[in-house]
Amino acid sequence: MENKKCSFRMIRYELRNINGNFMPHFFGIVFPNMMSMIFTTAIGKQVPDAVRPETMVSIIICMALIMPMSIMFLGYGALYSQEVENEIPLRMHLYGYCEKSLSMAKVIAHLIFLSIAFIIYGIFQEIMLDIPKPAFSSLLCLLLSLYLIGVMFLLMVHSLANIFRKFSVTFGVSMFIYFLLMMLTGMMGISTDQLPKALQGVAKVFPMTYISNDFADFWQGGSYNFMPYIQSCIFLGAVTGILAMYAQYRNRRVGSK
Amino acid sequence: MLLTIRQLQVKYGDQTALQIDQPISFERGERIGVIGSNGAGKTTLVKALLGLVEYQGKVITQLRPEQMAVHMQTNSYISTMPVRCVMEMILNTSIKENKELQKLIDLFEFGPCLPKRYNALSGGQKQKFTVIMVMMQKAELTFYDEVTSGLDFESRQKLMDKLAQWYRDKEESLVIVSHYYAELEQLADKILLLDQGRVVAYGKTGELFRKYCGDAVYILDNNPENQELTCRFQRLKAPDHLIALSCHKQEEGKLLALLVEHNVNFKRSNSDIEIMSINAKEAKHGKMPLL
Repeated sequence: MENKKCSFRMIRYELRNINGNFMPHFFGIVFPNMMSMIFTTAIGKQVPDAVRPETMVSIIICMALIMPMSIMFLGYGALYSQEVENEIPLRMHLYGYCEKSLSMAKVIAHLIFLSIAFIIYGIFQEIMLDIPKPAFSSLLCLLLSLYLIGVMFLLMVHSLANIFRKFSVTFGVSMFIYFLLMMLTGMMGISTDQLPKALQGVAKVFPMTYISNDFADFWQGGSYNFMPYIQSCIFLGAVTGILAMYAQYRNRRVGSK
Repeated sequence: MLLTIRQLQVKYGDQTALQIDQPISFERGERIGVIGSNGAGKTTLVKALLGLVEYQGKVITQLRPEQMAVHMQTNSYISTMPVRCVMEMILNTSIKENKELQKLIDLFEFGPCLPKRYNALSGGQKQKFTVIMVMMQKAELTFYDEVTSGLDFESRQKLMDKLAQWYRDKEESLVIVSHYYAELEQLADKILLLDQGRVVAYGKTGELFRKYCGDAVYILDNNPENQELTCRFQRLKAPDHLIALSCHKQEEGKLLALLVEHNVNFKRSNSDIEIMSINAKEAKHGKMPLL
């Protein structure tokens, strides 16, 4: 019996598994579309015509940012922590699946689901709102950033679930982080520069802050200093990496002392 | 040699759950029954061999933990899709195209369960589901930990019959953990008897039986008439409602004639693991001499 590698069958299984979970559908597809409608309608009326397109773009980017966090952090966390609590990943390891193969299948399946969510979101925005067309490079940059954030958040909550091993604790912690990050990084309608100085400093270590506050500025092209954004990505990646290593250490097959 | 255990100790906090002092070896193709009451350390042994708990000592084997297959006491799967999809993913195969898997599904009469979700299966169906997939792994060493737990007598019997049937001509090594003696009689050719985390006895079933019970045991109801009738014969330790008599070939004729003459119902066995285990424990604790 050899270690089983990530396969098409595994990805299909994970996609079915996501499909059987209510969270990603609601928080990842319905919620951002609904929120973008509410915000654009409410705020759109209050801003002068000259800045309306830019405001709309800003709202749409913010709501798009909710999708990777809802699908790959909150939704995945809820699903996976239940699996961990029921020792399903252990059962899979005993069938010869290594952690790497299982995680890879989960990441790929969630990226596919996220892509579907993006397509639905894009079509919905195109039909419902009059949004200026983005420059190809800006759109590509935004999408890659959203995928990157999604992967990091999935691995983060995957590690948290493996550390806590309880659905209630993992879900509580992930909910707290989710709403905290939404507030800090400008996704809840409060822009980062309205926060107290200390919290602004905290917000700057997260890439979502730059996406929600700055990416609208180069929606139709232009230059942007990516350095602080890249640094924040490295920071989030490092936190994810440390958590993943710790979770793997805690869940290793132990054997002889 | 498939696997050797040397000086194995597993502790949960301050409590020693398992301590194996004498070396124990599993040979290729052997069917080892691990028996003991609750808290004897049976599951802890399986977990240690699979690297799921920390231990002191050595487990010497060429096999990596992932090359061993195991049916744990509790096995869970997702319920967001039919078990057919779960099975196909875990075994990385298609039921339609895999004749061997179809054969196993038929053997366990699991076909009608395939469209159901895991949480909709009964206890017995859940056990069968895992058993089928564990069998399909074709590992060199397979553990069955309390494979019939939670099942009624009839389902237990059926499941064990199917297991015995499947492994009859196979060469895989098995470790079957149970506290039902009858289950092991069908499958095991070696017994590892554990009690309170210690090894009481380990060896071939027949040899252990002869060591602790003699050539055969006669088991009859424990009542004053039978007690008086059989007082000349060597009595073994047995459950309170039974009398177990140790019997060597020379004296068996006499005992048999006596029982028939007095019209006493009895059971004869040369492989009763329950009586053997009880007497091995007694001998270990110095309450009974070895035969």
